[in-house]
Amino acid sequence: MPAIVDPPLPQPDLLAAIPRLRRYARVLTGDINRADDLVQDTLARAWEKRRLWAAGSDLRAWLFTIMHNVFVNQRALARRDQQQLSLDDGGEGDAAWQIPVRAGQYTRVELTELVQHVGRLPADQREVLLLAAVEEMKYEEIAVALAIPIGTVMSRLSRARAKLRGAFADAPAGSAALKVVK
Amino acid sequence: MNPLPVTDADLNAYADGQLDASRRSVVEDALARDPALAAWMADARRHNADLRDALDPWLAEPIPERLLAAAAGPGVAAPRSPRRWLAPVVAVAASLLVGLAAGWYVRDADLERAGTPTTFTRQAALTHALYASDANRPVEVWAPEEKRLVTWLSKRLGFAVSAPDLNSTGFALVGGRLVAGHQNPTAMFMYENADKQRLSLQVRKQSVDGGEVAFRYAVENGVGVYYWIEDNCSYALSGNLDRAQLLAVGRVVYGQLAALEAAQGK
Repeated sequence: MPAIVDPPLPQPDLLAAIPRLRRYARVLTGDINRADDLVQDTLARAWEKRRLWAAGSDLRAWLFTIMHNVFVNQRALARRDQQQLSLDDGGEGDAAWQIPVRAGQYTRVELTELVQHVGRLPADQREVLLLAAVEEMKYEEIAVALAIPIGTVMSRLSRARAKLRGAFADAPAGSAALKVVK
Repeated sequence: MNPLPVTDADLNAYADGQLDASRRSVVEDALARDPALAAWMADARRHNADLRDALDPWLAEPIPERLLAAAAGPGVAAPRSPRRWLAPVVAVAASLLVGLAAGWYVRDADLERAGTPTTFTRQAALTHALYASDANRPVEVWAPEEKRLVTWLSKRLGFAVSAPDLNSTGFALVGGRLVAGHQNPTAMFMYENADKQRLSLQVRKQSVDGGEVAFRYAVENGVGVYYWIEDNCSYALSGNLDRAQLLAVGRVVYGQLAALEAAQGK
């Protein structure tokens, strides 16, 4: 009997997604080379799991989900000794945030500073901020991609923004938290 | 009935342009009343815009070969075998060239005989060497502002120029600049691949109608240059690549320009 062969993933969509996957990976890992390793692992995983992709659905969102899972798993393995198993447990952002905003451009100082501040956010807040603010994904899509409740998406986003503001205000992060307006 | 109070979720959704129309006016009222909220919103929106400004340029970077191979799937992937991922690219390039192919080979034959001026190639090679070696400022306007670049160069050259998309060959647009030409100003577009090799395409108007000249190859000071004249414009593609590689890119450029002209009904 012939083996059942899964249909291939659509090449043009896959290729088109790579720049965004690389960007997401850089924001997750904080390191350009590790980011490309993560993209490579993600693409390999996507091919292995291609049966799980519903043809016609948003390939990019599915790839983001895979990347998130691969990243969380790799971090869990790396941290097994420290018994920190989940991204959500992660403390402040990785110390080794080494992503330069491309030098020599019409770069404003604030941009470099902003990227540095984003790098200091905990990874779970960083990724929600990236998906909402830069990838402009709907909160519902982010919740699905990261397999978290939408309330968690919102609270991570709030905390990320409060920390960024705090960082720019040169005040302790979190002090600029929002009050509910009556 | 009083509207529900404005929540963090409302404010974040407003900042990200995701708030339901029904809640938007409630948030806007609150922003008008409360300067602290308005300041929060201004920061959130500015951070969004700044983050996009900072991170969007990454999208234009050339994709490393190993990722292209990984995207091709298992069995196809062979990181050290660029030909495989190039295959579909070549197919696309070939389809662009349908109808041109015949003329192409005639041109190849022609150029062996053609006596063409060397000024432009020499100048192109020197200009390429000067700017391609500049790590930090090879161009004046960078790729994220491609539209502005193209508008500016078109205005200065006096005809519409465009930056061909060479991503299929592994070269991404870095940006461009205006350079002095022998008689007319010249537009230069710079490209770079994952190995940091740089190519430049230079375009200028011919000052005298010299007819068309087929692909001509020259090596000037160690820089390879493919040179041709089409539609009264001179083109030079320069880079420290081997001849075959440069020619492959040249054909993609030529194909795109031809497709563009066809689309414009010239």
